[in-house]
Amino acid sequence: MADRIEGVKKLFTSKSARVETNKGDAYYEKLFEKCQARIEELKTQQPINNRLDITDVLEMQGIERRDFLKWASAVTGMLMLPASFTPLVADAALLMNRAPVIWLELSDCAGNSEALLRSDGPQIDEIVLDIISLEFHETLQAASGHQAEKQLEDAMETFKDKYLLFVEGAVPLGMNGQFGTIGASGETMHDHLLRVAKHAAAVVAVGSCATFGGVPAAAPNPTGAVGVMDVIQGKPLINIPACPANPANMVGVILHYILTGQVPELDSLLRPKFAFGYRIHDNCERRAHFDAGEYVEEWGDEGAKNNFCLYKVGCKGPMTFNNCSIVRYNEGVNWPVGVGRGCIGCSEPDFWDKYAYERPMADAKIKAPTGGVEKTVDEFGLGLLTAAGIGIGIHAVASAVAGKKEDGGEA
Amino acid sequence: MITKTILEQIEGEASLYFDMKDNLVDFVTIAFPHFRGMEKMLEGKNAMDALVITPRVCGICGHSHVLASVRAIEDAYKNSGFTVNITQKASKVRELTLVLELIQNHLKWIYLVLVPHLKELCGSKELLNTPLKGAYGASLATKILAIFAGQWPHSSYMVPGGITSDFTYVDLTKAKSHLQKLTEYFETETLGVSVEEFLSFESCKDFASLESDFAKIEHLLIDLGMQKKGHAKDAFLSLGTHEFSHAAKVKGTKLFKVVSKYIDTQDAYAPDEKSYAKNALYKKQFYETGPLARCMAKEFKLIKNMHRRFKDSAYTRVMARIYETAHLLAFCKKLLDEIDISEVSCIETIALKNISGIGEGVVEAPRGPLIHRVQIKEGIIKSYKIITPTQYNIASGTKENPSPAQQAMLHCSQADAKFIFRTFDVCSVCTTH
Ligand code: SF4
Ligand code: SF4
Repeated sequence: MADRIEGVKKLFTSKSARVETNKGDAYYEKLFEKCQARIEELKTQQPINNRLDITDVLEMQGIERRDFLKWASAVTGMLMLPASFTPLVADAALLMNRAPVIWLELSDCAGNSEALLRSDGPQIDEIVLDIISLEFHETLQAASGHQAEKQLEDAMETFKDKYLLFVEGAVPLGMNGQFGTIGASGETMHDHLLRVAKHAAAVVAVGSCATFGGVPAAAPNPTGAVGVMDVIQGKPLINIPACPANPANMVGVILHYILTGQVPELDSLLRPKFAFGYRIHDNCERRAHFDAGEYVEEWGDEGAKNNFCLYKVGCKGPMTFNNCSIVRYNEGVNWPVGVGRGCIGCSEPDFWDKYAYERPMADAKIKAPTGGVEKTVDEFGLGLLTAAGIGIGIHAVASAVAGKKEDGGEA
Repeated sequence: MITKTILEQIEGEASLYFDMKDNLVDFVTIAFPHFRGMEKMLEGKNAMDALVITPRVCGICGHSHVLASVRAIEDAYKNSGFTVNITQKASKVRELTLVLELIQNHLKWIYLVLVPHLKELCGSKELLNTPLKGAYGASLATKILAIFAGQWPHSSYMVPGGITSDFTYVDLTKAKSHLQKLTEYFETETLGVSVEEFLSFESCKDFASLESDFAKIEHLLIDLGMQKKGHAKDAFLSLGTHEFSHAAKVKGTKLFKVVSKYIDTQDAYAPDEKSYAKNALYKKQFYETGPLARCMAKEFKLIKNMHRRFKDSAYTRVMARIYETAHLLAFCKKLLDEIDISEVSCIETIALKNISGIGEGVVEAPRGPLIHRVQIKEGIIKSYKIITPTQYNIASGTKENPSPAQQAMLHCSQADAKFIFRTFDVCSVCTTH
């Protein structure tokens, strides 16, 4: 495991993986003091509901303090904080049981809960399920029906204005919300969400369905599904898109909240910059082939056997902001591009309609994401075209030399 | 009087309407109040898009969906005169990743669904509520899956002609060592005996001396009389063609041939609430699907023995799911040993825009047969139909013709009925898609 932690650390902290968010020493000094004060204050509070103490869990699991600190330094890197914050991040992890979390499932496939169950880190299953105070989760808890409703009411009352509300799944608004009702009273998902969000400290939309409507909102959007940010107003809101969202990012957001009491820095689509500040393409293992104009033309061809770039079989990595090329999935085992499948842009708005699968971007009539003036997002349109232009230019020559016929694909 | 109960913890929600007589269940109707409309959004899209969108039908069995999708598209190729061949390597890896999805599902079901509800029902201190155990085993299984499929859930690495991953010898070795760890975990934590020995058991006497989670579960089921409760139709269906299962219709213990074209759907009977589920039937009759059905079709001695004594009780149903987990672990090992890395992963196919025709893909998903039916015109989807396993088991029929789950809940207390309902491993998101 130590190797693995080293690996994660290296990836998180390597230069190419970092988006430039350095705000200068004065800023970090102030933030450091603030976090320190917050951590001290949290330490005086009782853990909620006698949750296990992470130190005990670590000991039980035979995880050494040294390994734990390495993990903390990797996470510090991921959160884009200076290395001096490492001890504070470690402290924040130890205080995870002071943050009450309520998890709602709306119109979804439960994939993000599934992903969370497999999250990353030193036996992070324990950290997430035992240490964070998951006060309510319909799928993972034992209670159901009226009992579950009571549990939710209790959690909302006890932790009024303090709980983090995680929402998985889209909000169906069509037919007055009748495509999704919850509980014995038949409350619509929309009403349910508004009710539970009212006294949340912050709302975290997890997965592409909750953030931008996701698959349920794909054309023709049969249920009139929208994302959480379309219906919640006047609350701090964090979007963690992707299908499924990466558990590392969920844990990152919780840690950041414990550490600073604030939401992390967000882009114009309300995504934390630490995770969505750069593109898949920036850190892709096939990038050298892209730059050299070496592409897979069709699955099963020589390019595929040689792990060439997947742009021509529809990879949307050049315009998808996410950290999966670094964090990867299933405890860092792999990610889609690793097995020769292009990225489908699952962390972008309307990913289904816009980035549909095996059409190369150039053929798919995609416009740059609009709205807001987040710098990297806005810049990307131009950068992308030049980069792709060069790549394809080289490629055309290479193909001609190889005598390979250009084929426009299926679109 | 009819009382409504909401059941969560089944990936989504189901409403059960209990009609009680003398404190026993007289009839139950089942409604699923959620709907996303996945079939509709597939219409008009490039058929290859189905390989990305259908795994999103379900966060637990997305892999089964992608295999059903790719099989349906390959069938459409065949029906338009272009047979798609795939290598042994591709077909074995497809099978392997599917089986791993079944395994992770079963492990989670044992520790996140079965154990907590068993404990609740009997108030026993014997069995510890350890959801993390299930999560740990499941994450080992999905780690192996991710080596070949890129990620789990929602992987899309299958394409007409094979698979996209070109894994190395090192990857294969990694997979083997993870599998070894997973098997050892299951042997020490769950079974209390080696998988090999467990699979050689022929009667309950063979495991009488064990003191494992498995043995405790078995005792508690007997204490609760679950060997005498939860009887469904005593008719089973296993459809997908795989090496680990056998396609057959089983009535009692007799095996019959099956042809998937006889599967059809009808609206659920749900007088009290709008339900977005449809019932699935074979030749207009209800059958039970899933691990018990597969074990009966495969004629495993231990399960047949249990069936001889206790028929298709809740007890036999639970035991079959645990037994199948062991069977699948052994099968995974065999597959990994057989994979020949020198074969190609994918054989190029002609472009999809040349394809017009219908296709069907049938696979065994964790809960039973999953069918995708697609109609393609020049590469574009004209219509798409998905029939999921829960639609057979948890269909909502009338009093005269109840579904397996409805029948199984009859004449029980409400508490027992709710437990029995869960022995079918209900999945709501799949059912309504
Ligand atoms: S186009 Fe896709 S496969 Fe190619 S380098 Fe970019 S992210 Fe990687
Ligand atoms: S590679 Fe692309 S499609 Fe795949 S998970 Fe990452 S952002 Fe989503």
